Amino acid sequence: MDRTIHVHHLSMTYRVPVRQEGLGAALRSLIHRSYRELAAVDAVSFDLFAGEIVGFIGPNGAGKTTTLKMLSGILHPTGGDADILGFQPWKRQPAFLRRIAIIRGSQPIGGPVELTVMDSLRLQQLIYDVDDRAFKRNLGQLNAMLDLRTLLDRQIRALSLGERMRCGLALNLIYRPEVLFLDEPTIGMDASVVETTRQFIAAYCQETAATVLLTSHYMADVERLCRRVILMDKGTVRYDGDLRTLSERLSPYKILRVSLVGAKALDLSSFGEVDEAENGTYDIRVGRRDVPSVTARLLADFPVTDLAVLEPPLDRVIDRAYRTGVA
Amino acid sequence: MTRSLRLIGIYAHRTFLEWMTWRGFLVTLVLGQCVTPVLGFAVWSAALPDASNLSTYYISLLVVQLMTVFQLDHTLANPIYRGTLSHQLVRPHSPILGTLGTCFAERLWFVIIGAPVVGLLVFLSNVPLVVANVLLALPALALAMVVRFLFTLALALTAFWTQQAHGIVAFGATLTFLIGGSAVPILYFPDPLRSVAESSPFSAMLGLPAAIASGSLNRDQVVMGYAWQAVWLAVFLIVTVVVWRSGVRRFTAVGG
Repeated sequence: MDRTIHVHHLSMTYRVPVRQEGLGAALRSLIHRSYRELAAVDAVSFDLFAGEIVGFIGPNGAGKTTTLKMLSGILHPTGGDADILGFQPWKRQPAFLRRIAIIRGSQPIGGPVELTVMDSLRLQQLIYDVDDRAFKRNLGQLNAMLDLRTLLDRQIRALSLGERMRCGLALNLIYRPEVLFLDEPTIGMDASVVETTRQFIAAYCQETAATVLLTSHYMADVERLCRRVILMDKGTVRYDGDLRTLSERLSPYKILRVSLVGAKALDLSSFGEVDEAENGTYDIRVGRRDVPSVTARLLADFPVTDLAVLEPPLDRVIDRAYRTGVA
Repeated sequence: MTRSLRLIGIYAHRTFLEWMTWRGFLVTLVLGQCVTPVLGFAVWSAALPDASNLSTYYISLLVVQLMTVFQLDHTLANPIYRGTLSHQLVRPHSPILGTLGTCFAERLWFVIIGAPVVGLLVFLSNVPLVVANVLLALPALALAMVVRFLFTLALALTAFWTQQAHGIVAFGATLTFLIGGSAVPILYFPDPLRSVAESSPFSAMLGLPAAIASGSLNRDQVVMGYAWQAVWLAVFLIVTVVVWRSGVRRFTAVGG
């Protein structure tokens, strides 16, 4: 696979003004201001390859968005280096900017909201020098994937959040960027729009071999789209690797979901910690090594109508990683 | 260069379309800019009824005002405050092209809405217009547009450092009104102040083209006026480039 993104010891330190409380300190700060250095991103390194969708996760303030802004050229880092498609992002060369896109769920459309969606797409065509043939072909594909037909003649300001996201994706992908930075792409959306968006991102990457760095607080986004995750915390990379491995490392247990005949409450605590019990269905937390033996005992001792072995919910795994760190 | 001009044209077209939905607001905005010159016209015509070139001066001043006033404290400072300037930074061209396009669209709207007001005033006042003077004033009008654009841009770019850019631009507009020949024609300033005002950027941005069009200046004064316009254009060009680069560096250092 071709390496499209190379990040080496990338750092961003902000200088923030600080002062003590009270009027005296406020007056003193007029003459002598004090500052504190705040490391938002601290020597972050990773590589991304063509066609990869990588989850870039971490708690609020971990440095995810700052990193995305540096990699898209909006922010100039205070240290380290990055190479994306052979360019240094913060030089913001037109040849680089034509090949990347940054899409923020909070602001999926950056242009004027008074224009219609089609006017905005035409504007993008001109800004990014997309020839007519490619424009029609790309629009046709985006239309098929995002169902834009009823939106093209509407003003952007009159669109709902979900519709804006669909249009934001179309506007940013009409010129077929090779690298996508997606910052919370499903924030605030209802379930059906979320699923459409996820399906679209997966389909786009499969078709174009685009590289995607995705930040999201919705672990379902990450679980659905990413095999690899980079876990950030306090400005540093705490984990970079396979999502399943992370899950196994942080959760040395699985969930046995077992349904028994009859709704009578049973004490199954001898098999493991019972997480949930409802209408004859129990979620039992069992150590990974013990799963075969516990399963066998359950099947032998009880009239089991259904049994499934599940990975623990990713939300819990990641929450644990945020709270206790990755060992 | 061709691509940049094309992009400016595209942005002008887009902004023109976008502002079509703000027709009512635009009418009040343009009429608001007409008030001062029209008031000056009424007051000075009544005060000095024999000075016919004063009426011509204020009608010309109205045209200059409509052609040179820019709302950059809104169209540029607001995206800086909102952080949406970052959307422009990731486009494959200089963000200033969008600003220039917006200003051209703004000009077009000001001409469309302001032209009937100017026409009505010319019709009602029946002022003498000397074609040679008007032609002589046209380059001064073009230079005034550029100088005032750069001046307003430099003030609006203070939005990179302060939340008070609107106030700073308004202060600049007040100085332009007082010293640029709108409150009182510069010819009527007392002598030491008059020569200061004539060499100031405010005259170069507003009063000079109107004074030339009304035939109020002799040849030497016209030449000197053009020379001052050239000087201020160079000064503000340098200032604006420095402020812009420094501002973008700051924006990309703190993330908007």
